[in-house]
Amino acid sequence: MKFRIQRETLLKPLQAVIGVVERRQTLPVLSNILVQAQDNQITLTSTDLEVELLATFEVDVAENGMITIPARKLVDICRTLPDESMLDIQLKGEKIALKSGKSRFTLSTLDASEFPQIDEIHSIQRFQIQERELKHLIEKTHFSMAQQDVRYYLNGLMFELNADSLRTVATDGHRLAMSQHKMKIDSDDSPQVIVPRKGIQELNRLLEDSDKMVSVMISNNHIRVEMDNLRFTSKLIDGKFPDYKRVIPSDCDKLINLDLETIKKALVRTSILSNEKYRGVRLIFDTNLLRIQAHNPEQEEAEDELPIDYDGPTIEIGFNVNYILDALGAIDTEQVIFALTDANSSCLIYSDDNQDCQYVIMPMRL
Amino acid sequence: MMITDNTQTHCPVYWPRAIIHIDMNAFFASIEQRDFPELRGQPVAITNGEVGTCVITCSYEARAYGVHTGMRLPEARKRCRGLIQRPARPEIYATVSTGIMRALEVVSPDIEVFSVDEAFLDVTRCQRLYGSPVYMAKLAKQAVFDASGLLSSAGVSGDKTTAKFAAKLNKPDGLTVIPPWHAREILHDQPVTALCGIAEGIERFLAGHGAHCCGDVGKLPVSVLARRFGNLGRRIWLMCQGEDPDQIHQDVPAPKSIGHGKVVPPDTCDRDILLTYLQHMSEKVAARLRRHDMEAGHFLVGLRTRDGWLGDRRRLAVPGNDGNHLYRLCRDILDQHWHGEGIHQVQVTALDPQPCQQQLDLFSQHNEHRGQLNAVMDDINRRYGELTVSPARLLGRSSMPNVIAPAWKPNGHRQTI
Repeated sequence: MKFRIQRETLLKPLQAVIGVVERRQTLPVLSNILVQAQDNQITLTSTDLEVELLATFEVDVAENGMITIPARKLVDICRTLPDESMLDIQLKGEKIALKSGKSRFTLSTLDASEFPQIDEIHSIQRFQIQERELKHLIEKTHFSMAQQDVRYYLNGLMFELNADSLRTVATDGHRLAMSQHKMKIDSDDSPQVIVPRKGIQELNRLLEDSDKMVSVMISNNHIRVEMDNLRFTSKLIDGKFPDYKRVIPSDCDKLINLDLETIKKALVRTSILSNEKYRGVRLIFDTNLLRIQAHNPEQEEAEDELPIDYDGPTIEIGFNVNYILDALGAIDTEQVIFALTDANSSCLIYSDDNQDCQYVIMPMRL
Repeated sequence: MMITDNTQTHCPVYWPRAIIHIDMNAFFASIEQRDFPELRGQPVAITNGEVGTCVITCSYEARAYGVHTGMRLPEARKRCRGLIQRPARPEIYATVSTGIMRALEVVSPDIEVFSVDEAFLDVTRCQRLYGSPVYMAKLAKQAVFDASGLLSSAGVSGDKTTAKFAAKLNKPDGLTVIPPWHAREILHDQPVTALCGIAEGIERFLAGHGAHCCGDVGKLPVSVLARRFGNLGRRIWLMCQGEDPDQIHQDVPAPKSIGHGKVVPPDTCDRDILLTYLQHMSEKVAARLRRHDMEAGHFLVGLRTRDGWLGDRRRLAVPGNDGNHLYRLCRDILDQHWHGEGIHQVQVTALDPQPCQQQLDLFSQHNEHRGQLNAVMDDINRRYGELTVSPARLLGRSSMPNVIAPAWKPNGHRQTI
């Protein structure tokens, strides 16, 4: 294997695939990336056995071949070389020789045959979507995924393929986020797949705010997303996602319209004096007035008031303020609606513009 | 300079800070001698039940023979032929301790219960009312005696560490005063380990910097200690100069964990016996969580073998405080981590105790029935004694008595045996 390449041409795809290479490995080959040079095309592959990332780019290849190279060291070398320098990379025996100007490096390798490959994917579902829309679907929901929950099927993001929309849903049992994008999908029984947390984080990092189309393929146990020069593949979580529709309240009779920035700032201010661990704040919806209160174990107290348009019965309800702030952070209109039933029932938050994104938050007893 | 007892209590000087440390003398043994006159003047060793083999504490008569806390009984008997072994009565000790602490509150409301037999009183604010701190120390000793019939030792100084150091100087029934303005001088030539809170690790670090006595520590730059131990380092530096800044802590801080463990018959390999012990501990942990309106979602289950601990940490899907759920975790862990090794001790600990039902869950419905059952069980057991009603398996539970922990406190989650 032998090729000559400009630093920038290599660095960008390298940085795209480095994310899944874990720092601590049990399998030595997992800290390497697979480099394949074939017919003037280079392919870089990284994997953690759950997520696989693959980047390709064109370059003049002097000699075909494939080998695995320590990933982080290669990235660090490329990063620290001068801008626009040229690199000569050549496999010599069991080592990789890397030369650029007066700098020389010799890196150890492991055989390409040791690199774990994901089995061939037999997609049963396939569709195309704008890159930007897919990124939105993830960004508007991913923060509600559980972390290391015993209910393993919550530690990921659920994609639901409906005939008229693609939906993402995430929940940790305390709150739930749902987002949908209206589009035609050739599906009749609305299949659901759960992509693990790690995969979602990587995919979110790779997706760009572009109007190019990306293709999504889903098989029984994998999801694959193909972008320009990049391919993301992740195993799916084998489990049944809870019936999310059941917990999105539909009969809230108290709808309160709030200015997004105003309520966000008031919550951030008040939460400074909430319990650092449990983050509880009390919201009191009174006639035309919302009061926000927090206190901490040191007996310090915060209170804020906002005028609102409301004349129903007083509701006093507690929430983990982080859950509300996460939801508000994902809404990008000026006005937001809080839909409530009573102090023991969940609260539904959505934009006044449309209900494509919905956030359900269970209250806290304070 | 150092004043011991019988000195005049009138002190014309107002102390900027005045702390009294009260330390009970051989607390458990003294209670036994109080309640059983035939033990007075005799060497007495307290053990955990009749079968315990480790001396929990012993009377001054036994100490004269070289018997001390932690010593194995055969060794103790070798040193002291006439040693009388008595089983501990933790419930009584807890009651006596509570009575003593209540009596001390009358002297000063600024009280920190430091352990089952020790307390700090901040009497700075009482000086106008009662007069000198020395006089208040006498009041405190008298209050302890009136409440319990027991003698205690008191140390009086301007900070907690020096007061505790002073109390140790004259035992039993001592009263030692180190006025704050003499503290630095008196501590100067004392080895650093004479101060509470400085053990081997810190001693080794200080010795590495050439500091063996408190006076040497004061000469080190405070940054040396701060870099190694952070805030604790800064505190140690001040402690050694008789200026411990630590305040009286009155609130029992929220528990970081709640756990119970028990020694099982050595080398137990019988699964049924282990399950009984584990269920016993599960019920105790769950009942204690419930008593304090708490629940937990993360648990540690441990089994001690000759070579160390087996076991694991597990999470419940939704935090809870039901003994049955906990027992199920124990059974899983036993099945997965135990391969027939001889077990010596079991432990069940809730790692993240938190207030009950704080954050409601979207998917799980709270099981009202289990909650009510537990509430009734707790009511009965509170009235008729621990585990009067319990899972059937516990009929065959260990008869080993409960042990009182040194960290026992009259209020909050530490009020348990």
